[in-house]
Amino acid sequence: MAYDVQYYPGESKIAENRRKHSNPDYELEILRSIADDDIVKLLSHRNPGEGYKTVHPPLDEMDFEADDMKDFVEPIDGAKKGIRIRYVQFADSMYNAPAQPYDRARSYMRRFRGVDTGTLSGRQVVEMRESDLEETSKLLIESEFFDPAKTGLRGATVHGHSLRLDENGLMFDALQRYVFDEDEGVVKYVKNQVGVELDEPISVGEPLPEDKLKEITTIYRYDNVSLRDDPEVIKVVEEVHFARTAGGYGLEVFNDDLQSKLGGN
Amino acid sequence: MSTEVEGQNENIIKATDVKIFPYRILKPSTTETILNQVLVLDGVLRVLINGESLPTMVNFGPAKGLPVNHTDRKTINVKGNDVPLRVSVGEIILTVQLDNLEDFVEQVDQILNDTLSFGYDIKVGVFTKNQTSVSDFMKYGEGFEEKIDSRLIGLVDPNAKSSETVRYIR
Repeated sequence: MAYDVQYYPGESKIAENRRKHSNPDYELEILRSIADDDIVKLLSHRNPGEGYKTVHPPLDEMDFEADDMKDFVEPIDGAKKGIRIRYVQFADSMYNAPAQPYDRARSYMRRFRGVDTGTLSGRQVVEMRESDLEETSKLLIESEFFDPAKTGLRGATVHGHSLRLDENGLMFDALQRYVFDEDEGVVKYVKNQVGVELDEPISVGEPLPEDKLKEITTIYRYDNVSLRDDPEVIKVVEEVHFARTAGGYGLEVFNDDLQSKLGGN
Repeated sequence: MSTEVEGQNENIIKATDVKIFPYRILKPSTTETILNQVLVLDGVLRVLINGESLPTMVNFGPAKGLPVNHTDRKTINVKGNDVPLRVSVGEIILTVQLDNLEDFVEQVDQILNDTLSFGYDIKVGVFTKNQTSVSDFMKYGEGFEEKIDSRLIGLVDPNAKSSETVRYIR
């Protein structure tokens, strides 16, 4: 059966932004440029110029004759070479950060291959083969997924997404991995994602203006667009809630009309 | 609502709390400016600074044990006294005498209005513990009421060392 993918319900701009993030056909707007080596330094898994560590021989050299899966799935580049798996983790402020954990989870799984992602209340971790991770991180930091002030690259000690911003509009970070350069008006990372000081600060550009954030955010907020202003989203949430609560426990309530309840014919 | 704080001459001083809640986390320099202006006003008995605790060392992950050097963990100067901040300042609770409370709140409002470029709330109420509890007995031992300054009740975290978290400003 052919059908169009429905990424997210709703008519508000927030819903539209969520659809944009999840839709791999939508080209993300690139807002800043960060050098590849700087990304490597921020991730802190290897030194710039150092080779990737491997955990198994290249797939070509391994014996997989009996494994049918190799015919179905084309391995990603890092898997072909046997490169180890590493992670990147972002924390998103409640103050209209461009992305948020659930949105990230949906988007990562729609957009990237070979990901293992974990959702927590204020942060989203994603694990990939290291070489692919670096490419992905670069896209995530340079694109509209990231705002220097409201998004934090945080491997450990992530607390801060639900706190008030500081006087410069930056999200709280107990380890102060990034600072606002008041002379240049840009945010600079002075530590890598786990909190080890960098040799030189890495600039990630100017914080996005408040108005722009309100346009591109994927967070429903009472002072921007409230969830209650999007009836279609509420309807879907209620449907899912009801289907899960009543149907999920194996009650006999859906025998006749399960399909229609879930939106089928 | 009012808390009762025993004065030096066993007189009862009627007091209440005034909470300053800025919409942004304050820089040490802003905190210093506000405190220096507020402490000049009549009737302030004590000040409680609350906020997110700032570690001196990284506690988790590969960087464990390295110094943090957070710029918000600074020593500020309040009326000539050094006050080392241990938190990033999120709210300031002032315990003030009930006399002239309205004037006091108005003056604080004016100070904040002049100092801050963003919003804030000022609330009057009881925001600190005003009666002794089991935690105080655990911290100070039996019969402590006679031995310690009554202003410390409700001011100090039972797990903290008072010498680190309390400063007398004269």
